[in-house]
Amino acid sequence: MGYKKVKKNRKTAWHYLKIYFVSVFVSLVIITIGSLFKPAPCANSATCKSDLAISVDNDAIGIFQGRKVVPPKVDLLAMETFNSSVLGAKVPSGKKHIYVDLSTQTLYAYSGNEKFMQALISSGKWGKTPIGNYSIWTKLPVTRMAGGQGADAYDLPNVQWVMYFYNDFGFHTAYWHNNFGYPMSHGCINMRLIDARQLYSWADGPTSDQKGTAVSTCNKFIEPNKCIQD
Amino acid sequence: MITVRRQVELETVFLITMAAAVSLFFVLYRNNNSQGQFNIISSIPFVSVPAEAISPQVSVASQISPDGTKKVIMKITENSDGTKTYDFSTSDENGTNKQYIFTKTLDSLSNMSVPFNTWSPDDKYFFIRESIAGNKGILVFNGSGISFADAESYLEAVDIFNQKNTGNNFDEATGWASETLIIINTKKQDGSKGFSYWFEIPSKAIIPLSTEF
Repeated sequence: MGYKKVKKNRKTAWHYLKIYFVSVFVSLVIITIGSLFKPAPCANSATCKSDLAISVDNDAIGIFQGRKVVPPKVDLLAMETFNSSVLGAKVPSGKKHIYVDLSTQTLYAYSGNEKFMQALISSGKWGKTPIGNYSIWTKLPVTRMAGGQGADAYDLPNVQWVMYFYNDFGFHTAYWHNNFGYPMSHGCINMRLIDARQLYSWADGPTSDQKGTAVSTCNKFIEPNKCIQD
Repeated sequence: MITVRRQVELETVFLITMAAAVSLFFVLYRNNNSQGQFNIISSIPFVSVPAEAISPQVSVASQISPDGTKKVIMKITENSDGTKTYDFSTSDENGTNKQYIFTKTLDSLSNMSVPFNTWSPDDKYFFIRESIAGNKGILVFNGSGISFADAESYLEAVDIFNQKNTGNNFDEATGWASETLIIINTKKQDGSKGFSYWFEIPSKAIIPLSTEF
């Protein structure tokens, strides 16, 4: 009669502790890697992933802050005519650069050291305007913007003179409010129509061999090439 | 004794006479040089009246709407009594279709101004600021000059705000949140920043906001 050797399978506290530490380690690795693939911020969440196309809808009703807004009628041909009419106008020469001072809600456009224009704007209130150095990556005479959630949801057709400089953060008109000089946007730079039109006509979009006009958003603008971003 | 007193009296009379003569000579000399004639009465208002007082000093300021199609024009006339008369009108961007809106005369401690964000986004309304002896207010007008529904030519938003007894004091109206909503910022009794409100034009409602503007 022989004894059958029975292996004892008792788990020690050390065993559980090892499992605990491995689990924590794996979780941390996943969280760290996952954060690297965080989607880029969007100013207009509903249109962020879709194509940002020219869009005119003169019969639509807009929504902003839970209220209906009647968009202005847009004549695309007249917009193009205006844009081409100012192309021959004399403007300062030099490298173009747009600065946005978020502390004073003021935009400055420079050609070299010569100021082309200065205007009050409205930056992000319900979404943060990113601080950094960018360049205009596309220009659209008119498009539709939508995004936000709940009471902050908005859907705005016929937004004119749009220039995106970082993802879908851009300069554009804001026909739904007139509170320039104070934050009023979801992250974009809102401008009066007369100012946005002037800036649009002056600024350059990208070409095959060079970037569009440089854009710097700052906490404090001092002078060209001196823009505090901390 | 008597001789000495008489001598003193003669000296006094002589000195007074001399002073009178010198003064008379000075007055005559000055009058002749300035006006070419001896006329003491006409020399009283000696300070020549500046041309500005004859034709009152006038300054003009204007503010264009966000879409560049309409203007609010404020003409300030400085009156000879120290008051200022403020005339407000609207027009198209090129100056056509001028429409008289409002006139008010204020003392030197008070003033009126047209804010940057004066026009509603759809150009239907505009507001102006006034400060009467330090008390701030805003007046809201129809851009076309017509009266409001109850025949009021303008709305005194701060009076309406104060009637609501919100517990906050009006501080400033910054601009328009929409076509009919003016943004009002307030201060608490202790002077710190209070809540923000909307003043809705058609209903004259004061709407408290959860967001500070």
